[in-house]
Amino acid sequence: MAATSSAAARIEAVAPTVPGAWSRLAPLVILIAAVLIVVGAAERAPMIVQRRITEGLIDLIAVVGLYVFVGNSGVLSFGNVAFMAIGAYVSALLTMPAAAKSVFLPDLPLFLAQAQWPEMGGALAGGAMAALTAAIVGFPLMRLSGISASIATFAVLVVSYVALGNWTAVTGGQNSLMGVPIYVGLWTAAAWAIVAVIIAFAFQESRSGLLLRASREDEVAAAACGVHIVRRRLSAFVISGFLSGVAGVLLAHFLGTVRVETFYLDLTFLIIAMLVIGGMRSLTGAVTGAIVVTLLAELLRQAEVGVTIGATRIAAPAGLGDAVFALLMLLIVLFRPRGIAGDREIGWPPRLRRGQIGNPR
Amino acid sequence: MLRTVEPSDPARVGEPIVAVDGLVVNYGSITAVHGVDIRVFAGETVAIVGPNGAGKTSLLSAIAGIVRPAAGAIRIGGEPLAGVALPDVVRRGIAIAPEGRNIFAGLTVIENLRLGATTRRDRAIAADIEKVFADFPILGERKNQPAGLLSGGEQQMLAISRAMLSRPRLLMLDEPSLGLAPAIVERVYQLLKSIRSEGVALLVVEQNAARAFGLADRVYVMSRGLFTLAGAPAEIERHRDFDAAYFGVAMSATGGSP
Amino acid sequence: MIEQLVQTLVDIFSVGGLYALTTLGIGLIFGVMRLINFAHSQLIMAAGYAVLLLFAQSAALAVASALIAAVLLALIIERAAFRPLRGADPATLLIASFAASFFIEKLMILLVGSRPKGLDFLPFLSRQAEVAGVRVQLLQMVTIAVSAVLLVATTWFLKATRLGLEMRAAAENFRMAEVLGVRANRVIATAFAISGVLAAAVACLFVAQTGLVQPRMGLQLVIIAFVGTVIGGLGSLPGSALGGFLVGAMTIVLQALLPPDLRPFREAFLFVAVAAVLLFRPQGLVPARGFRERI
Repeated sequence: MAATSSAAARIEAVAPTVPGAWSRLAPLVILIAAVLIVVGAAERAPMIVQRRITEGLIDLIAVVGLYVFVGNSGVLSFGNVAFMAIGAYVSALLTMPAAAKSVFLPDLPLFLAQAQWPEMGGALAGGAMAALTAAIVGFPLMRLSGISASIATFAVLVVSYVALGNWTAVTGGQNSLMGVPIYVGLWTAAAWAIVAVIIAFAFQESRSGLLLRASREDEVAAAACGVHIVRRRLSAFVISGFLSGVAGVLLAHFLGTVRVETFYLDLTFLIIAMLVIGGMRSLTGAVTGAIVVTLLAELLRQAEVGVTIGATRIAAPAGLGDAVFALLMLLIVLFRPRGIAGDREIGWPPRLRRGQIGNPR
Repeated sequence: MLRTVEPSDPARVGEPIVAVDGLVVNYGSITAVHGVDIRVFAGETVAIVGPNGAGKTSLLSAIAGIVRPAAGAIRIGGEPLAGVALPDVVRRGIAIAPEGRNIFAGLTVIENLRLGATTRRDRAIAADIEKVFADFPILGERKNQPAGLLSGGEQQMLAISRAMLSRPRLLMLDEPSLGLAPAIVERVYQLLKSIRSEGVALLVVEQNAARAFGLADRVYVMSRGLFTLAGAPAEIERHRDFDAAYFGVAMSATGGSP
Repeated sequence: MIEQLVQTLVDIFSVGGLYALTTLGIGLIFGVMRLINFAHSQLIMAAGYAVLLLFAQSAALAVASALIAAVLLALIIERAAFRPLRGADPATLLIASFAASFFIEKLMILLVGSRPKGLDFLPFLSRQAEVAGVRVQLLQMVTIAVSAVLLVATTWFLKATRLGLEMRAAAENFRMAEVLGVRANRVIATAFAISGVLAAAVACLFVAQTGLVQPRMGLQLVIIAFVGTVIGGLGSLPGSALGGFLVGAMTIVLQALLPPDLRPFREAFLFVAVAAVLLFRPQGLVPARGFRERI
């Protein structure tokens, strides 16, 4: 029974061993503070920067959503952007004014054509539909072994892209859906970001989250302890789906339009890159990755815009930013695969604590 | 801790095929081998006996280049093993039949054998394979069948024959009798005896002490990562503290238990 | 009626063949390294652009340069991105593969722009030939022939050569193969080189068929191919080819069977069918012997 006792020991070690509610909550508090600091600083910045930060916060929610599944289960998912798409379309369709809908989507089913929901309702519906889709899709998926499951999530992404892109009556197909009510600003995004961080933290601290992390390290040992891996993974997947759906909702109501093309490979790469660069195995990593990459993307964008000295404009060629960014992610994977945060959560004093949540070393 | 008992037979002087000094092998925070010296000379048969978890497999794996030691020096034919890539160890004349046989279940019997000879470029390979089939007709009958269909004993014959196909100077075996019926074990040890008579040195790790004693020129008793006794099989068998040495009870310098 | 049937069969075998070549290329590398090579799509792209560069000179030169480009890129990717990660866990390899794929794509866009370029490659293949009294496009026959030849050639290589044997052994148990003296670097480089050859063949046929070259040209094929690899059985080489063929065949069958307004959803149906297969047989149709993710 060496396997079970070591798994049991690992579960115990993974549970916070440092006494005191403060130490346990420290990562959550610090991360929320970080978000607030970023937003506070952005308040004084010009509008265009605020918009970038808002988009960065939405990406943060998406990354945290991805992390809830990937970080806890160890299975990489390429399909979360599909849930973002679902959230975006559902919320858009429910909240768009009927007039706009009759122009862009004349063939919309009556219920949707007449729906005029409040913003919060639309957002929750979007998240819920995404979560539901995750539940349905996840049911067969979670039985697959790690790599097969990852490829299957890739299939989910493609299916959603194809399905949404061709369901012209409901989504407008390849065309942009315009007239989506815009209500997402800096503080709305920040509020949702904080909610997302709290949900993610609560999950990873819960019994379900801890058991899932145990199975991440050693499936066989965990199963021997009675951990229902499929069930645990599915619950993480559903929560992940909900958060991704919310991110999609916010993106739709930030941009004012929804386009299926937005929710495909480039966004998938961005979200995964943020998680990898920040660190896949901790919430700190997810948040750090989002912040760092957003800042980096901003710098690269500036480089492409260039600097005007007198009459000459010195700028990087278009597309350099993307290439540099992709190279950066590759280098991180090669030389620091654990990402910026390593495996660890941030503690107090703000120094990465070893083994508080995550793999004990 | 026991210093190695070097064989006093003058015929065995000369460069040992394998010389290990102060070997330490760690797995994470667990130390499997605590500092061990051992020599194997050309043509001799050395056995390492001890209970499960004694570190025997780790020792063998380190010599085979499968795991990297945390400390200590391993020399193969006088040349240090450090820095040699795993696939090149067999080119130094060391072959290993690891624990659990490890034959390629999806490949055919003859393909398994050919793999054993993969480092050779000479023309005698086919002849060597035919000899294997002559010695083990059952393998010959099944030569084009997946090796996974063989019985445990047949797989062990295959694993050993495959290792021998690289024409090594030293053949290492990890638990050759594990999981096999006594009659099969007899066959396996007959094979080892015939290998020995061809002049190949053998280093055998065994939990089945009786079998090992019957084959070996020298025996080391290993327990908890250290050698606790060493010498000729007859001496070891008669040693009043053999059981203690086998199971790792502390011993005094004179060889008696405290 | 006969014409319809023959045409459908030709479609099935030509599309199926193309996908089989793609999945085999992916499956070979997965077999030896447990790595899903997302960058396979970029190999096809590189070969395609090589054709673009030289097709005006001569078709043979274009094909040769496609082969060189794909094989070279494959070996570079192996050396730069995957060799440093030898022995890493599959999730890390997957991410590295994804990142490498993206980087090469973005680099290409930086160099040549993202607009598709049109070209007329092997125009004589768009003529028709007569098969069993039915007129069929020559290109499709060539596709079937090339796929068959390459599949047979790859199988022969794996079964009949020493290097092929070493590759199959490494695919089943990498460590044990090394213990016997199999040199990992050679085996892996060979796998990548072969996958480059297969990618180049697919690219040439694809370019001849679509008349277009663009940075994302391999993507559609490879995405579907991934799923084919999973259906066929990860780690199993015959499984890969079979899975690819089936997936390709399914796209044709669905195209034929679905009512017109549902045809754009063809891929969605395909993947749902795939999910059904995986639900009942998660290890794939031809499970690899000795393939285990853990223990």
